Formats: sequence, C-alpha cells, structure tokens
Amino acid sequence: MRAGLIASLAGHSALLLWGLIAFPDAESFAVPQVDSLPVELVPIEDITKLRIGEKTAEVRDVAAVNPSETPAEEPPKPAEKPGESRVEQPTPPTPTPPAPSPAPAPEPQPVADPEPAPAPAPEPAPVAEPAPSPAPDPAPAPEPVPQQQEAAPAPQPIVTKVSPRSKPTPPRNAPEPPKENFNSKDVAALLNKIEPAKQTGETSQNEASLGSRRGQQDVRMSQSELDALRGMVAQCWNPPVGAVGAEDLKVRVRFNLSQDGQVSGQPEVMNSSGNPAFGAASSSAVRAIMRCQPYNLPISKYEAWQEVIINFDPREMLGG
Amino acid sequence: METLVQSTLAPESGISFFALFWQAHIVVKLVMLGLLGASVWCWAIIVDKIMLVGRTRRQMSRFETVFWSGQSLEELYNTLHNRVNHSMAALFVAAMREWKRSHEGARPAIGSLQQRIDRVMDVTIQREAERLESRLLILATVGSAAPFIGLFGTVWGIMTAFQAIAASESTNLAVVAPGIAEALFATALGLLAAIPAVIAYNKFSSDVGKAVARMEGFADEFSAILSRQIDERG
Repeated sequence: MRAGLIASLAGHSALLLWGLIAFPDAESFAVPQVDSLPVELVPIEDITKLRIGEKTAEVRDVAAVNPSETPAEEPPKPAEKPGESRVEQPTPPTPTPPAPSPAPAPEPQPVADPEPAPAPAPEPAPVAEPAPSPAPDPAPAPEPVPQQQEAAPAPQPIVTKVSPRSKPTPPRNAPEPPKENFNSKDVAALLNKIEPAKQTGETSQNEASLGSRRGQQDVRMSQSELDALRGMVAQCWNPPVGAVGAEDLKVRVRFNLSQDGQVSGQPEVMNSSGNPAFGAASSSAVRAIMRCQPYNLPISKYEAWQEVIINFDPREMLGG
Repeated sequence: METLVQSTLAPESGISFFALFWQAHIVVKLVMLGLLGASVWCWAIIVDKIMLVGRTRRQMSRFETVFWSGQSLEELYNTLHNRVNHSMAALFVAAMREWKRSHEGARPAIGSLQQRIDRVMDVTIQREAERLESRLLILATVGSAAPFIGLFGTVWGIMTAFQAIAASESTNLAVVAPGIAEALFATALGLLAAIPAVIAYNKFSSDVGKAVARMEGFADEFSAILSRQIDERG
C-alpha cells in the first residue's frame, strides 16, 4: 500500500507541476476590432410622413422674395406692354399699381419734354424713359414689391419661370430618393428641401388655395396610424366565432368619418358572400365600427382618414 | 496599451492552478483539497491493486504449474506451510493442514473430513477474496460521490461569485469570469478524481471475480482429489 501511495503522490505532484507549466495565466483572447455599426432610430413618420404640411402665407413670402429681386430690375418690361398685361390679368387687383406707375411716368415726360406735338415720337421715348422713371421713384418701387409678393399674379409668368430656374432639381430628386434610399439623413435633407420647392410651385400654380389643404395630394397616413385605427376597430369587434367557412367571411366596409372622429352616415358593406353566416359577420363588422367611435386620429391628416375602408378578415383580425 | 491593460487585469483574472485555488472561498478550498486527497488516495489504491492483482495472477499460475507437475502433495505442503501464502497456495495449505490434522492422533476423524476440507477452503477463498477486494469500495464511493462533491463546490463558488457580482454592481464578464472559473475548477477536480476511480473499480471488481472463480475451480478440483484419497484410504 505504501508503494501505491508513494506512486500516487508522485503522479499527482507531476500532474500539478505539468499543469503549472502547461497552463500559465490564461492568455486573453485576441478580440478582433469590430467596426461599430452606426444605427439610427428613424421614426416611421420620416418615411410615411405627410408630405404636405400646413401651409401658411409666410412660407410663400419667403419663396417669393427671391424672385422679387429680378422683377425689380424688370419693371421696364411691364412698362413696355402695359396694355397686354392688363388684358392678360384683368382679375387680379395688383396689376393696377404697375399701371399707375407708367401713368405717372408719362407725366414727367411732358415735364422733361415739353414737345407734345410729336405724338408718335414720345411713344418710343417712354419706352426708353419709363425704365429710369421707376428708378427715380424709389419710394413707390419697394411698396409694389411686397404687394406683388402677396398677390403675385402680376409677375406670375415671371415667378413660374424663376422658380424652376432657381430650384429645378430638388423637386425632381426629392420624391425619388426617399423611396429608394432609406438613409435617414438623406430623407430628412430631401424632405426639408421639398417643402420650399413645392410651395413655390403651388404658389405659382394656384394662388387661391393659400392655406388650404384640399388641393394638395400625397396625403398619406403613416402605417402606424393605420394600424392604430385597425387595432381600435379590432378591439370592438366580436368576430363570428365558430361560423362554418370562416374564410368566406371577409367583410369589406367603407365608412366616412367626421373631423371629430365620429362615424358619419352608415357604414357600407362593399362585398358579399354566399355564406349564410355572412350577414351576421357583416353586421358584426358594422357594429364594431359604430361601437368604437369616436376615433382618435390626427386631425392634421383628416384628408387621409375621411373615408376609411377596412377589411374584416376573421383569421387576421383574430390573430392580431 | 494592450500590455498595460493585461498587466492591470492579470492579478484579478489569473487562471493558473494556484491562482484558482487561492481565490476560492474557504468552502470551495476545502472541497478542492478533499477532492485532491481523494484523487491521491484513489490512485494509491489503484496502483496497489494493479500490483496485487498482477501478483496474485502470477502466483496462481506458478502454483498451478507446480501443483500439476506431478510433485508429491506432501512435499509441496512441506515447502509451503511455513511461508505466508496467498490465493491458491493458501487454499492448498489450509486443506492439507486440515487433512494432516484429521489424520493425526490415534483415531483419524475421516468421517466428515470431506465436509471440513470444503468448509476450510470456502473460508480461505472468502478471506482471499476479501483481501483482493479490500478498499475497492473506496474507489466506488469516490467514483460516485466525487462529482457531487465537486458540484457542491461549484454551486457554492458560483453563489459566492454572484454575491460578489451583486456587491460590485457590475455584470462585466471580467468580473463574473474568475469566480465562475474557480467554481468550475471544483467540478473539474471532482471529475478528475471520479473518472479513474469508476474505471478502476469496474476493472478490479471484474479481476477479483475472475480470481475468485479461478480459486473456486481449484478448490473443487483439489476437493475432488482429496475426496478420492479419503475414499481410497477409508
């Protein structure tokens, strides 16, 4: 037994010694340098955002100020064709200011040129002189400029020409890249550019729609808000449990909402089915819509949810 | 920079055997020491049993060759009975001693001599088997209990490590790792002691069984020889 004990002790000592040699302090793992992946949290509204904000005239002023410099240099042109300008734009009231401006211009003409006899002669003369004539009158000149900005119709053709010159590219680039590139920075930058670009275009097209949202397109609700509406309806819905052939019981309902979220009118079932339980399913869908009102939706996007169509699919809605 | 970090971290996160031992909680230390002692003791038993089994096997083979060589049983007994004998030689000596004693004196007690010889050889076989099997139970116990003891040390060490983590209020792996490593070291020691013990126990129990069967075979043969002698003389 002693021999065994000695052998065992010797073996364990050797093992420990070997362990001390073979297992020194653990070497740290060689950790490869991993490039940190930048992650930005982009709210879904940046992508599905309403592309048309609430417009005010102030923003249009900013857009119109830029072209205002050029018309200041070009008053001679309207002065050349006073008659044409009147004919083209009879409705806007502002053309009158340019009209009087040439009107006083002929007055100094007689002052400068006491020769009234050459009636045809002064006609070319005012052509040359009216140009300086608005210049010597600095006080009236700046006044009509803001008026033109507000009412813009007089330089309307000018503005339409100028605005495409100044920023033709942003409106073309803007709508496309946000769909292809989801880089948030690009999207944000392009979206920022869209607004002034579109405003200039709209101001030039229809000045009567100042501040109204009716004439603007591309009003979309973000997916999360649509889901919220769907979720609200789904909570109130008692689906036809146990009906035979539940796949035939998809009910498509269209209903109108008023601005306070109430259902206006009666929801309209848009499809039909031969399933005998379809009547119960459609009435349960209508009941759900009526029970859930009022719907709390962003009023700024009323255009998008004024009329809502919801599919009541028992499988999907039950799963959701 | 890396070397600096390593040098600062090294004393905390040492993984060498002694570092693992010294960092451990006192309970884990005791468990480790106990397991190390069990391992030493197991290997001592293993070495001892290897030698004993080998020696026994050689002795039996040598005795069988001598026994079946045609040598006179009296001579063989005279050469053997003064020594300390084991296994088959012990069987032979015990049976021959009973035979001699039965034939000593004025009235030889031959009537139940066969039964007495069988009984003496049975006792001798049991004694020899006990000698061969001694301490094998220690191997069995270590083999079954050492993993649990190591597991106990691991659980205790991990408990301590978690308490330390809670105290340091950091879940950094550099804080967690040394405690868990030292805890797992206890399980490693338990397995280190248990695996050879289990293997050796299985091997030695089968070896002892073979040796005992061989001795029983010899005892039956020798009993038959003596029985024939008794019947011839009686």
